[in-house]
Order: sequence, then C-alpha cells, then structure tokens
Amino acid sequence: MRQQFLTLLALSLSVGWGLSACNQNSANLESNKLTLTGSSTVAPLASEIAKKFEAEHPGVRIDVQTGGSSRGLADATQGLADIGMISRALKDSETEQFQSYAIAQDGIGIILESSNPVQSLSNQQVVDIYQGKINNWQEVGGEDAPITVVNKAEGRSTLELFLKYFQLTNSQIQADVIIGDNQQGIKTVSGNQNAIGYVSIGAAERDISAGVPLKLLSVGGVEASTETLQDGSFPLSRPLTLVTKETPSGLTKEFIEFAQSENVHDLVEAQNFVPISPQKLVQVP
Amino acid sequence: MNLSGLKMIRQNQYGLDKVISLFFWLVPLIVTSLFIWILGDIIRGGIGQLNWAFLTTAPLDTGRQGGIAPILVSTLLILGVCLAVSLPIGIGTAILLAEFTPNHNWFGRLVRRSLDVLAGVPSIVFGLFGNAFFAKTLGLGFSILSGGLTLACMVLPILIRATETGLSAVPQEYRLSSASLGISRTSTLWHLLLPAATPGLLVGLVLGIGRAIAETAALIFTSGYVDRMPTSLLDSGRSLSIHIFDLSMNVTGGDANAYGSALVLILILLLINAIASYLSGKYSKTLKV
Repeated sequence: MRQQFLTLLALSLSVGWGLSACNQNSANLESNKLTLTGSSTVAPLASEIAKKFEAEHPGVRIDVQTGGSSRGLADATQGLADIGMISRALKDSETEQFQSYAIAQDGIGIILESSNPVQSLSNQQVVDIYQGKINNWQEVGGEDAPITVVNKAEGRSTLELFLKYFQLTNSQIQADVIIGDNQQGIKTVSGNQNAIGYVSIGAAERDISAGVPLKLLSVGGVEASTETLQDGSFPLSRPLTLVTKETPSGLTKEFIEFAQSENVHDLVEAQNFVPISPQKLVQVP
Repeated sequence: MNLSGLKMIRQNQYGLDKVISLFFWLVPLIVTSLFIWILGDIIRGGIGQLNWAFLTTAPLDTGRQGGIAPILVSTLLILGVCLAVSLPIGIGTAILLAEFTPNHNWFGRLVRRSLDVLAGVPSIVFGLFGNAFFAKTLGLGFSILSGGLTLACMVLPILIRATETGLSAVPQEYRLSSASLGISRTSTLWHLLLPAATPGLLVGLVLGIGRAIAETAALIFTSGYVDRMPTSLLDSGRSLSIHIFDLSMNVTGGDANAYGSALVLILILLLINAIASYLSGKYSKTLKV
C-alpha cells in the first residue's frame, strides 16, 4: 500500500514539475500572437481563417476564443483581445468606441418545396403560420393541405435571427418538426410538399443549383439571394463583424485584411455564410 | 377484532406490498433503460466515426472533418493539471477535517459548510471566477493551466468530502490500538488510515473526474476554444466537452463528429471508472488484515 501511495505522490509531483518546466518554454511569443474573442457564430469561421493565416505566416499564432458577442466587445475594450467578434453590426452607441470590419454576411431565407404553388408570403402571414393561426395552405393562396411548420432547435443562431426579425419568441411557435442544422432543414422541406422552413441562404442556393426541389421566398419584398445578401438589402440578415478598439495596425491589420480578402471566400461559403461584396467592404485605412 | 377482519387487512397489505415492490422494480428499470438509451444512441451515432485516424489527426473544416487528437491531448492535460493540484490539497484538507479537528470544532464546521456550499455552486460561476482570477489577475490567460486550476476548485469539495467520509469510516479502534502500540500519529495516518480511506478517496476521485471531464461552461472562459495541438500548459486548448458543444450547436454538419467525440468521452469515463473500481477492490482486500 505504501508503494502505491508513493507512486501517486510521485505522479502528482511529476505532473507539477512538468508543468513548471512548460512555463518557461512559451515565453517571447507574445508579439506574434493575436487573440480573438466573441460570438460563437463567428468563432468557427474565424478559427478556420486563422488556420489559413497561420499557414501562410509561419511563426504567427492566432487564438480564437468564444463566449458571445458582448464578451467580444468587453474583451476588445479591456485589451484582453486584439480583435472582438460580433454577429451583428455595431449599434449607434458603440460606433464611437469601436472600429468594425464585416467579414461575412449571415442570412436566412424561407423555403418551400418547389412544387408548392405559393409564390410569396407577407411577414404577417409567416408570423401567423409559425404561431399556428394559419394552418392550411388554402388560406395563403395554396392548395387545401395542412401546413407542416419546420422550426430550428433551441440555441441555433438562425433561430435567434428568425425570431428577432419576426418579433416572435420561441414559445409562441407551434412547430410540427424541430430540426438541427441547415442540411436537415433542407431535407425535411424538400421531401414534404406542405412544409415551410427557414435555412441559411447560402446552403439553400447551393442545393437548389444542385437540383434539390426547393424554392426560396422573398422576405419583406426583397428577393432572397446571395446578391441581396451581399449588398445588404435583404432584411433577414446580419453581418459577421470583427471589431477593434483602436484603428488596426501591424498584425491585427494584416489579419483583418486577410479575413476580408478573396483568399477566404471558400472558407466563408463552407460555413454557409456569404462574402461581403467588394463595393460594400469597409477596409482598414 | 374477529378473524375475518384480520385476514382482510392482511390481504390488503399483501396487495399493497405487491404494488410497492412493482414500483421499486419499475423505477430502476426506467433509470437503467434511460441510461442504456442514451448510451445506445451515442454508440450508434459515434461508432462509425471512431477509428485510429479519428484519434490521431487534427480537426479540419471546423471539426466536421478530421479527428480530435489535439482536443484529446488538451482534455487529458487539463485533467492532469486538475488532479495534480486537487489531489494533494484535497487529501490534506480531508486529513485535517477527519483527524485533527473534533466534530464540533467551529473551524471544522466552517470549512465543511463552505465546502458543501462550494459543491453546489453552478459551474458557470467557477468559470467566471477562473476567468477573472487565473486568466486575468494571475495573467495565465486562456490556457490549459487556467482551465485545470478552475476545475481543481470545482472538484475539491467533492474530493475532500468523499475522502473525509472514508477516513471517518475507519473504526476508532484502529487509532487506539495503533496508539497503544506506541506508533506515531504520522505513521498511523500513513500506514493505516490513508490506505483504509482509499476506497472513499477513489469514489470522490471518480465523481470529481466525472464532473471535470464533462465540464463545458467553466472551460469556455478559462482553457478556451483553440483546437491547435498544445505545446505548453500556457496554450489555450479545447476540451472534448467544448468540442462536442461547438460541433452540435455552432457547426452545421458537425453532428457525426460530435457523436464520435461524445463516444470517446464516454469511453474515457468508463475506463476511469473501471480503473477506480479495480483499485478500490484491491485496497479493500489488502486491508482485511
């Protein structure tokens, strides 16, 4: 028994020792290191961009942390992060404090199966359908068939965006099907002529061009497409934004410019976001 | 009371007995089937992902492709830091409470009460504390060290209470006989009491590791989100639990790898449980002097 206790003690000590040895190794890297914190929607994209940036700039390290948009702003203010990430535009009250650089646009479109005769829905009709007040397609100019309402699971950023735009709360929604990701939403709606759902526009467009029986409805009179998303006219959207406290310089500037460049458009699209159109891009001065 | 009345009461009681025993069979059945259902779901979803490459390669495309090697390493390092710190402090405090402070001592009561309160504190509170204290005040930043130390704070109450209970369960005669043989208090503690309390310690350890390894909220703010292979304990490192959370909540199309990672997490837990119960059995045997 004594031996086992000594082993245990030795183990604890060796871990502790290894720990202090490690401490000394990692000095002198600070100048080549950037820290990003903030929105969990932006974080996966930012960490992919960071990996590509690191690959092109040996010796540079970019740490992406998450914790929410408000945390991104707080950490950027306090200097804990070089760059904050927010999944929205800056509010008017914040524009004096921060510099903001959008890197992508996140937008969601309302989808129906392509043979559904309904061509457009007003915002009020969408709200009524999702609240269960309208539950037959006949009431909005379609066939006599019950509406299958497809909603997103709690915690999805698309759900938040949808609820915010239509001024709904999740508990008001009478859903028939709850889905997780975009792909599941597309499968559910494209396989059910009476279904209505909402997914990321980028993902829907890609599948429509691949022949999936699906159509995107316009929202608030604006057509749902990559173009209207890119130029910012599509209402059900938000910019994914990098913010800094000071005007970016050095590595921070380089990284933001890289994140806005065409080099990362494939990464932006892989995350089902849409790159910002060059005309709309606010660049680092 | 006449005989038939007595008979009726007896029959009623038999009936009640049956209902109650049925109830006591049903409850564990429900609990077990729930566990098997969850386990089955994770195995069904994750077994297809699980292979050597998954365990030894880095994640690609925000975790949809590739493996979990850096995340596995970070998780084990965080756990290592947590145990390296919490074991000595935990055992020390438990010895103090069980052996050196009488039951009604005000100090002992204060420590026990604080530990019980700490054990019930939600993990997000530990996370915010860890972020404020380890990451900012001590300047450790988002790092495996910050995460491990935060988890150590979370695990300590469980560890201390379980070890203390183990020590208190050792019969008083052991201490008296030992003293009457002229054995010093330290020797008694080292050779007699601690080995006897080891099963308790192991229970605490398993519970603590379970809480630590499943932790997400406290680690997002301390050890962080970076999924690069850590090169030092001051690097930020993503834990398995955060990886699972991110894949299932933030990354569309990440569900398959989320299941794979969840399966790995469960296998690690089962392995730790098995080792602990093996050790515990061994210690219980050696103690039967």
